[in-house]
Amino acid sequence: MTDPRWVGRSYETAPFEVSEESIRNYMTAVGDEAGNGELVAPPTYAMVYGFDAYWQLWTDQEVALDVAHLVHGEQRFTFHRPVRPGDRITTTGRLTAINNRSDMDLVTFELTARDAQDRPVSDGTALFIIRRP
Amino acid sequence: MKTMMGPTFERIAIGQTLPALTKQVTVEQIRRYAEASGDRNPIHLDETFARSAGLPGVIAHGMLTMAFANQMVTDWLGDRSRLKRLQGRFAGMVVPGDEVTCSGAVAAKHDESRRVVINLVVTNQRGEKVVNKGVAEAEFPPQRSDTHAA
Repeated sequence: MTDPRWVGRSYETAPFEVSEESIRNYMTAVGDEAGNGELVAPPTYAMVYGFDAYWQLWTDQEVALDVAHLVHGEQRFTFHRPVRPGDRITTTGRLTAINNRSDMDLVTFELTARDAQDRPVSDGTALFIIRRP
Repeated sequence: MKTMMGPTFERIAIGQTLPALTKQVTVEQIRRYAEASGDRNPIHLDETFARSAGLPGVIAHGMLTMAFANQMVTDWLGDRSRLKRLQGRFAGMVVPGDEVTCSGAVAAKHDESRRVVINLVVTNQRGEKVVNKGVAEAEFPPQRSDTHAA
């Protein structure tokens, strides 16, 4: 069972340098390759520049989430500005709720991403469901 | 993604549907998404592991399905930078071989903020919802004053 005492714990990524290659890899992977003007990342590219925050949570030995039984339940994003090659983005993720139910744990992770000038880029909220085997 | 290809705010009507987007999900695409996103959780990549975790087999990342929903909206908008909000609930698993269809309709329009709210859903080939309670919000640029001239 996930211990609710970890609510409040936060994780910060190293600054993520957005490259054209990284955006194009993502666009190819999801099959969203439209664009004939200036390259702007698909907004859900937030999962790429913010990924290390998720990774730190999933691999935190103290919180010890049962990642084999973790599925993504809900996701919400707010996008403050478009992301382009050359952006330098830092994402902070924070555990804001851990609810233990009879057969599952519900874990809420809230993220904020900011650019090199400390301006907001995007916010995200992920709800993870951890089934108890 | 030229803005001129998208709809104009003034012409958008509540209830109007967006062009649907259908995608075939393959093992190869899930692998590519894992590489591009960094999310190499074995439930998405390793059949044996996924089964041992109580799943029917490998499953697609929820965020891959959400990327499809994102694309349906931004293809319609004609400009990725207009998407301001996106949310959804992952209501069902997506597995390789599935064909998923994203659809959406305009639910609200706010003249002051020039924002449009879209309700969206993603269903599989059996008509089961894999993303529900989907909402997207787009903001349109201010109307150019020179369009009133002459």
